[in-house]
Amino acid sequence: MDEVATDVITDALVNAGVDFVASLPEGNFQPLIGRIHADPRLTHVPLAREEEGVGICAGAYLGGKRPALLIMNAGFLDSTNALATTNLMGGIPLLLLIGYSGGFSEFLWMHSQIGAVTEPVLRAMGIVYEHADKLSDVEAQIFDAHMLTSITMRPVALLLNKECLR
Amino acid sequence: MKRYDCLKLLAPLVGKDDLVVTNLGGVRVEWNALRPSDANYNVFTLGLCSSVGLGLALALPHRRVIVLDSDGSLLLNLPSLTTIADQSPGNLVHIVFDNKAYESAAGGPTHTANRADLARIGQGAGIKNAVRVDFLEDFQSAVEHALAAKEVFLVVARVEIGTAAVPPDPYDAMEVKYRFMRHLEKVEGRPLVTLRPPVARRAAPDSATPAVPSSPDPIP
Repeated sequence: MDEVATDVITDALVNAGVDFVASLPEGNFQPLIGRIHADPRLTHVPLAREEEGVGICAGAYLGGKRPALLIMNAGFLDSTNALATTNLMGGIPLLLLIGYSGGFSEFLWMHSQIGAVTEPVLRAMGIVYEHADKLSDVEAQIFDAHMLTSITMRPVALLLNKECLR
Repeated sequence: MKRYDCLKLLAPLVGKDDLVVTNLGGVRVEWNALRPSDANYNVFTLGLCSSVGLGLALALPHRRVIVLDSDGSLLLNLPSLTTIADQSPGNLVHIVFDNKAYESAAGGPTHTANRADLARIGQGAGIKNAVRVDFLEDFQSAVEHALAAKEVFLVVARVEIGTAAVPPDPYDAMEVKYRFMRHLEKVEGRPLVTLRPPVARRAAPDSATPAVPSSPDPIP
């Protein structure tokens, strides 16, 4: 992930109105997480587990922040109970930026099953999602995803494939 | 020591605008009966209330946030302790009522019934002010101290199993959200519920057309 990509995504978050990001350290994201952490326009909370990030972002939203959760799809799958019973049941928005292990452009066999179940689970939960495949599209997608989660008060997900993150 | 007796001591110490986040178990109905208020928020994901309290405390650093949690709930979300310690918001007081049991789930024992000690886990997580109390007078002094301090606190109160005979709580998660956020809008003096997006239209790529901010909704 180069400086252009980290700048594009960070600026897109800020321009969309996001001011709070929780994330779990991850190889594909590390330069982006560092960039977000250093940005004075964003409050950044490093997590120890993704599901707690759902709770932290919900509390931040209640208090007037506009949060995004930056995690991999394994962490999304770990967070489904929290997303169902805090966000969907309680009308709490959340912009989910999900790194797509096992999606198109994957090269490690061990991510194949995680990749295979990610979209069926998103659909089962009724979470609207889009694929973010190209860096040139990501700014508009982040803007639209954040707008949609805000006004529908339901989580909305962007699946960032590994090509987009490189 | 009974949880309800602890809450009766806590209620007069909690200010009108202090925000109280509870988990979904017995502490929710007992607290809502003792301190009915739109400044209470109930979390309906077991284990998540400590994290919601942390997010709220970070979003509103000028307001006191009190989390009412339990042993079974916190054991589901132990990473929240290291994250709370990492952030250490001085406006967060985390109170855990430890009855050594999954009381809402037929009363089976939690690991605190055997070897686990949540206050020491809290200390190990990096929360310097993590204390365990076994008696009402110790609970009161620990909570008074925690509420007066400008540092994050974890108070683990060892209590008996049992929920007081209070009326059932009539609010679902959606109503709890609206009551809580509308209350916060009044005391904060700004709109919080996002019926409109924060930015109405994004800037054009040529940056000749700037982003258009939303006109905020009025506070009801």
